Amino acid sequence: MAAYFQAPTAYSRTALPPLAAVSAPQHLVPPSDTSGTIMAITGVGFTVIAGDARRGDAFGAYPQVRFVPTVFRLTDKAVLATNGFASDGNIFIKKVRQRLDWYRHAHAKDMSLHAIALLIQSMLYQRRFCPFYVHNILGGIEDDGSGAVYSFDEVGSYVRETCRAAGSASTMLQPFLDSQIYPKSSQPPTPGSATHLSLARVLALVMDSYKHAADRLSHDQIGDGLEVYIVLSKGTSTQGLNIEGVSEVTSIPGGERIFLLRRSLA
Amino acid sequence: MDHFPTNWGRPRNDTWDPYATYPIHQRPQNHQPKDRFAEGVQHTQQPIVTGTSVLAIKFKDGVMMAADNLASYGSLARFRDIQRLHPVGKYTVLGAGGDMSDFQYIQSILDELIVDELAAADGHTLGPKEIHNYLAEVMYSRRSNMNPLWNSLLVGGYKDGKSFLAYVDLLGTTYTASTLATGYGAYIAQPLLRRAVEGRENELTADEARKILEDSMRVLFYRDARSLDQYQIATITADGVHITESRKLETAWSFAEGIRGYGAQTQ
Amino acid sequence: MNTFVQRFSTTGALSEARKAKALAADDEEFSDAAWGSEAGFGNIANGVPTFAVPAVPDPSAFLRLHTDDHADPSCRIKIQHGTTTLAFRYKGGVIVAVDSRATAGSYIASGTVKKVIEINPYLLGTMAGGAADCQYWETYLGIHCRLHELRNRERISVSAASKYLSNLVYSYKGMGLSMGTMICGWDKTGPAVFYVDSDGTRLKGDLFSVGSGSTHAYGVLDQGYHWDLSDEEAQELGRRSIYAAGHRDAFSGNTCNLYHIKQDGWHFLGNFDISKMHYEGPGDVPGSFGKGYGYDIRVEGRSSANPPPAAPTTTVTA
Repeated sequence: MAAYFQAPTAYSRTALPPLAAVSAPQHLVPPSDTSGTIMAITGVGFTVIAGDARRGDAFGAYPQVRFVPTVFRLTDKAVLATNGFASDGNIFIKKVRQRLDWYRHAHAKDMSLHAIALLIQSMLYQRRFCPFYVHNILGGIEDDGSGAVYSFDEVGSYVRETCRAAGSASTMLQPFLDSQIYPKSSQPPTPGSATHLSLARVLALVMDSYKHAADRLSHDQIGDGLEVYIVLSKGTSTQGLNIEGVSEVTSIPGGERIFLLRRSLA
Repeated sequence: MDHFPTNWGRPRNDTWDPYATYPIHQRPQNHQPKDRFAEGVQHTQQPIVTGTSVLAIKFKDGVMMAADNLASYGSLARFRDIQRLHPVGKYTVLGAGGDMSDFQYIQSILDELIVDELAAADGHTLGPKEIHNYLAEVMYSRRSNMNPLWNSLLVGGYKDGKSFLAYVDLLGTTYTASTLATGYGAYIAQPLLRRAVEGRENELTADEARKILEDSMRVLFYRDARSLDQYQIATITADGVHITESRKLETAWSFAEGIRGYGAQTQ
Repeated sequence: MNTFVQRFSTTGALSEARKAKALAADDEEFSDAAWGSEAGFGNIANGVPTFAVPAVPDPSAFLRLHTDDHADPSCRIKIQHGTTTLAFRYKGGVIVAVDSRATAGSYIASGTVKKVIEINPYLLGTMAGGAADCQYWETYLGIHCRLHELRNRERISVSAASKYLSNLVYSYKGMGLSMGTMICGWDKTGPAVFYVDSDGTRLKGDLFSVGSGSTHAYGVLDQGYHWDLSDEEAQELGRRSIYAAGHRDAFSGNTCNLYHIKQDGWHFLGNFDISKMHYEGPGDVPGSFGKGYGYDIRVEGRSSANPPPAAPTTTVTA
């Protein structure tokens, strides 16, 4: 469910889109997308979750604001990326965080990653009949120290994967990621056949993918800032992270570590 | 059974399939009974009396916001003395474009909120961040119930040494930036504001900020057919909220005489 | 007295909460479980969970407007579907075989989907139709199967479990759920397979296949099936049927996951690449005849149109 109220007036890309607040009669129409692309890749003991920060306006046509995060740190070992309709996404993140806070208050610890995945499934399914129009990718570190990526559809079905891209550039990036992560490029990806790349390689993959997707896609689909979260399991070395723009955002020292990398896509 | 997967996953409602293309059994009253008076309940489907752009920027001491005094009825400049900047508590100003009756409703719930907060006397006060979050929830839930408040709103404020400036609209969409503009201003004034403000948020003085807004309002008045040359400026700093009296834009139209090439004026 | 005052008071925490609720119009009721604990008495077991419903006169028409990619290919929410699943019972238990492809429109959204849901060590459910519907309700079914064990000190029968699911989805009939599943297991009566779908159909049977590729799978299955199959033959038949569907149906493919349910519960036998099965066969597994399934591979060298690899030619000089 998203923007039910939208100006139906046809307009060309060169014309100004009609404005929410000053336009003529409106009707109920299908939801709108506020663009952007998210992606996550996991390796041995680390997971990388990325999203670009450009937003169209509520009518999905015009870069209204240049920096809106789509990737959110939930705990020291879990990061959630959302894509789709922005206000559904914001509200959904808010709700997930609230549930995690409640959990923390009840149990004095953070929820584990697979439990967060299940929580997100039931929260999405609660709206089965008026879905949140959001694609979610959850990335982080499991209790056993392995990296994990969970990708969800709008109504909550989810699966643990090695890599996933979603959003405006997903059909462009997902096959590329498959080619890099799954060894035989002539074969379709099969579970368990993934090669685990090094952190440095994965980071380079992510940044290059975004840069080139931004070059190829029209201006309102992707661009501006890139935010990349890197989650390391306990004791994993920070090798590969000594690049410009990386800062640590871990809240409790001694456990998993989280780093944030900000880049410009201009 | 229908084996083709793209036929699956759709709500099976026979009113959508009058020729029974799909093997669906007609079931009486699977959904809730229809309300015969449903059409009597009307939700805002379009704005009626509307305000146009609101502009806001951050500057050295806080946030400054500007909006003109016009409420249009379609293309008619119907009400020319409407204040579209509304102070909320001691730290916040709300600027509204879109439907003015919905804006008035928002004003009333916010005023009530502030009174309740005051009555609680618990030592807490609501700052711009809280007001914005509250508004985002209200706007989102109204649109989720198919009954949106048809506005795009800017919330600006200054509390505990921090400036705050954010946007929320009829869909519950929110974002924040150091310059924001709604309505036509998003297309015409926003680039001007960005050029003047971005990177200089901590240097601009109040006078400079006022000048930037004034210039942008003038450009808007020249190009936005639903705007007015009377406007107000709200300034929110550590000293609190200050909203100016209505002021008039200095505009120059003498160039019009020099324009040639339209209609009968061929020379 | 206090509650009476609170009910009509316009100040105080309760009235504020009431006011906030009216404004935000939040339909969600949180039980204590939402805080992370209900001291072991989770609310999920207390009846069917509640779902938010859009505030329009006809909610299912609304949902259809936004999710119906058949009528409107540009609809925003494309629920993933497209599948071949099969299950059959024979003297040695139940074979469950599925493919692993998920399509959204004509895009292959994933080739690594897990379409067998492990409800508990004795029960499997297959997944066809809306992935979320199957996952959610079969997980929910798992909870109730466990509760049944705790209440009755014995495992739930496959029949009862499938009836539970069938009754559940029947109560949502017409709302847009999409699910075609086989509940498979081994209980007191031996191996059992039940077909349950979101229309409310529940069928007991020996052999089912569900999904867009089911017609292809049935073709192979029917010609090879009989009750007295050996384990190896049965596993090969399941694999071979999914291969056939993956080969011919555009909405099925990628890989085949194979399960065998015996008296001691289910066993995962492996993941088989469908392209690999075409050219090389399933590999060194029981039942494999060591060659590719592809007809061009099988019949190579048997006709003039498809001759054996050419013998070294001798050049004739004039």
